[in-house]
Formats: sequence, C-alpha cells, structure tokens
Amino acid sequence: MSATQRLLRGWRPGEPLRVLSASGQLGYGIPAESLERGLERRPHFIGCDMGSIDPGPYYLGSGEMAAPAQTVARDLQLVLQAARSLDVPLVIGSAGTAGAAPQLAATMALVHRIAAEQGLSFKVATIASDIDAETVVQALEEGRLAPIGPMSTPTAKEVRACSHVVGQCGVETFVRAFETMPDVVIAGRACDTAIFAALPRMLGFDPALSLHMAKIIECTSLCCTPGGRDAMLATLRVDNFELESMNPACHATPASVAAHALYEQADPFEVEEPDGTLDLRDAHYEAVDSHRTRVWGARFMPRARPTLKVEGAARVGERVVILAGCADPVLIGALPRVLQEVEDKVRKLVPGDWRVFPHVYGLGAIRPLPPDAPDPAEVGLVVEFIGAEADTVRAAAGVFKQNLLHHGFPGRVSTAGNVAFAFTPSEVDARTAYRFVLYHVLHDAPMESLFRVQSEWVGPPPA
Amino acid sequence: MVAHAGRPLTSVAQVVRSKNAGPTQLTLDLFFRDAEGYRLAATTERLSPAAVAALYHLSAEQVARFLLPEILAIKFTLPRRVCAGNPGDSDVYGSQQHAPLLRVRL
Repeated sequence: MSATQRLLRGWRPGEPLRVLSASGQLGYGIPAESLERGLERRPHFIGCDMGSIDPGPYYLGSGEMAAPAQTVARDLQLVLQAARSLDVPLVIGSAGTAGAAPQLAATMALVHRIAAEQGLSFKVATIASDIDAETVVQALEEGRLAPIGPMSTPTAKEVRACSHVVGQCGVETFVRAFETMPDVVIAGRACDTAIFAALPRMLGFDPALSLHMAKIIECTSLCCTPGGRDAMLATLRVDNFELESMNPACHATPASVAAHALYEQADPFEVEEPDGTLDLRDAHYEAVDSHRTRVWGARFMPRARPTLKVEGAARVGERVVILAGCADPVLIGALPRVLQEVEDKVRKLVPGDWRVFPHVYGLGAIRPLPPDAPDPAEVGLVVEFIGAEADTVRAAAGVFKQNLLHHGFPGRVSTAGNVAFAFTPSEVDARTAYRFVLYHVLHDAPMESLFRVQSEWVGPPPA
Repeated sequence: MVAHAGRPLTSVAQVVRSKNAGPTQLTLDLFFRDAEGYRLAATTERLSPAAVAALYHLSAEQVARFLLPEILAIKFTLPRRVCAGNPGDSDVYGSQQHAPLLRVRL
C-alpha cells in the first residue's frame, strides 16, 4: 500500500491532521535538527516548496536550478528519508526553482540517484507544468490573457520566443496526482499553497482553512518571531489550525503570524488561487501559549472558471560585466559624463549589437538618491553589457574597461589610471541574459489538459 | 540633508521593508511599535498615497495603501520601474527599495 493510500484509507473524519513543512526553499540547507523534531511529532504528510519566481528570469529562461546541486541533493535526501521512514506522503512543488521541464527532470534525476544510494523504493507522481506557447497565443488572441501588475502585452512572436513557459498548477492538479496513489508527488511550477492544501481538501477539510494554513506554512518558520527557516508544524482541525515552529527559539505569536500575511503579498487581504479567492479579512489569531498560535476565520470564494498564472522568459543576449572601483573625488563628480564619453568612444571601436547598463554604487545604483545627498568617498562600478553575440559583448566590455582606465577629463589629476580593479580579468562572463515576457493570468484555463500527471517507480518496483 | 520638522518614521516604526510582490510590483511594509505611532503614521499626509508616490517618482493612483490597525501595520503596493531581473533592473528581489521611506518625518 502506498503512503497516499495508507493516509486516505486510514483516515477517520474529525481527527486532527498534522502537516509538516520541511522547507520553503529546498536546496539551501534544511535545518536538520528542527526537521528531526518535526518527525518525532508523526506528521501525516511532509511538504516542501522548492521554487519561486523571485530569483528572476534567468532560471526560468535557462532551465537551470538556482540552488547548488550539492545542497539540493542533501535536502532531497533528508526529506525522502524522512517521508519513507514514516511511510507518509512527501509533496514537493516548483521543482528546481522555476518548475520548467529541465528542472523537473534534474530534480527527478537526483531523486533516482538518492534512491539508488539509499536503497529506497517508492512510487512518484510528477506534474509537468510547461505550457505550450500556442495555448498562450490563443488566449492572447481571444483576449483571455491579462497582465499581473505593470506588464506589457507580448506579441505572439514574443510568446513563441520564450525558452520556457510554465503555469502555476493548483489544488485540483495535485488532487489528480494524489489520485494515482503515489508515495511522493513532485510538481513543476505550482502554487505554493497547493503543495499543502491538496491532501487536506481530499480529506474533507474546509478549503479556506486548508489554504490559509498552506499560505502560512509554505515559508516554514518565517511567520515566527524571530523568523527562521526551520520546519513548521500545522495541526489542522475541523474549525481551526495551530501553528508551531520545530525550532524552540522561533515563536508563532498572533502578531507574527498575522504580519506574515503581508509578506511578498500585493494585497494583504486577498490571495488569488486558480479556483477562487482566499479572503483574510476575518481571520483570527489567538495565542495557544507563548510558542503556538491558533488561526481561523478566513473565507474562500470559489471561482466558476479557473484562472492560471503563467510565467515565461526569453533570451535577451549574452551578458558580460566589468567590476571596478573609484576613490578619486574629481572622477566621482564627473562619472556620469565620463561613462557616456567612454561609451561613445567604444561605439566607434566596437560596432554591432550591444547595450551598456552602468550600475554606479554610491551614486544611486539601487534607487535615485535625494538631490542633497553628499558625494561618497568611494564608488563601486558594475558595468553590464548585453548583446546578441558573446564575442561582440566581450569586445565591447574589454575595450570599455581599458578606455575607462585611461579616459581624460577636465580637472583630472590621476593621469595614470581612473579606476581600481580587485582582480583581473575584470571583465567577467555573466552567462545569458533573460527577461520575463509573461507574468499574466490566463482566464478560462483548461487545467486538466494543461498539466500532465505521470506516475513512475523509483528504485526497484515491487515484485 | 534638509531638516524637516517632525519625528523620524524610524522612531515609531520597528520594521520598514520592501520586497517584490511578484516581478512586476513592489510592496512596502511598515510595522509600528505602538498604537500611537501607528495612528500618527496612518493619519499624516506625509504617508498618504500621494506623498509615497512622490517619493518613488510615481503618481498617486499608482500607489495602493492598506491600513491594518489590528496589527499596527501599513502597506503600500506600487509598480516596479523595471520587471524584476530584466535588463536595466537594479534590485531583483526589490529588497532595498525601502530607503526613501527612511527619510520620512511624521
């Protein structure tokens, strides 16, 4: 009997469900002691979030994982062993950062390797979250594609040029995966909430409570004071849930849990899910003791026709950066003009397609400085070059570097060199530059046909 | 710096933070030490959507403000200048865009 079968068949309605969130970013080092304490509490299932759109378009565009493969393997081994030792379902969402096909495949390859090394054998359901560009183009042409925030509407050509397009699958897709009765579910791009809300939904728990619990614990102990990355246990009942960090020093207080509703959330009262809206206006938070908080009161307004968040990234070109510093007050005062003059020189020397983006740290690289800000004593320079051909971009960066070092300007006293390099080569290949083309809601999404659920054995199949 | 009258925001707020809310939006969260500090911040013109919009070189209608008196918090959500991580961006996670708020006096 698989772990999912064991949970569903042995379930007695009315019983509290213990849900352990092991990681909010699998691959960056799960705190092992807190996970161990969580396992002692005999959770009914273990969930992990493995991805996010936050690290930017590179990972979706390239299909590479953001977290180092070495620590991804460590964390995967921890949670696979944990779930198998308790014989409970393990649920992983947004595999390999962006949840695109190469990242799901890389995650599965690690799962196979770990199973072979540890002598484990289990049934996995995978969810492929890649969306065919033509599905998006059709939605675009039928007016069913709406931007989230200020995002321009792409052309059909731009959509087709995306190296990967993924959709965030929701609870209903995870339910389909669990219906194959696996031990482990590994999803491509997924709503963080769906990882934790699908099994409670199948067991008959209130959708609003399940989703609200999921929304909080997907970040593990971040909802505590002090916040942490330690495993978080939720105990879900018929009319409330209780939150408890598995790190005794991280306390879930009513204030810390309520405040978490603001985190990375555009609207603190409403959370959009594929099949409805979670409304937190009437949520209540009450201390159980100094370490635990009880929550209830969120409402769920189901939507008749599901909406799907789609994400797509396309290659912009190759990227090279120059790293340098400057301690000369005359040059610091003249820097914006000097950078423009150097660029003009380089344009004449290196023709072709390249763009330059100077980031002048100390002079407003991060955000515009107030007009009365004093000149800094030192500035750091990250000069970013992007163009279609790597050789052209490297040429532009190299020639720019040398011209910047020796550029003459009025008032110059340091005639032997303008900038300091901490090392050479100071021009560094920064791989391929991508941009987000899609961060949109696709209305009337045919969820069932978009997300493919597949089942496979890892390790030797049962006799 | 030009001296402005009033208490610095940081004397009444214990958290002033910024972060992406998805790659196209930025969200600013202020948490206050006590009800008095919250009331001051929630009622002053210096933290009206229009005033915050001006700090970020935006127009008032681009800034949404949420008041959460129960947890002594105020949230602002605004559009990002450049989609996160696209060429020309300067803060992929949006986690250092709170700085203009640190200069606000109530």
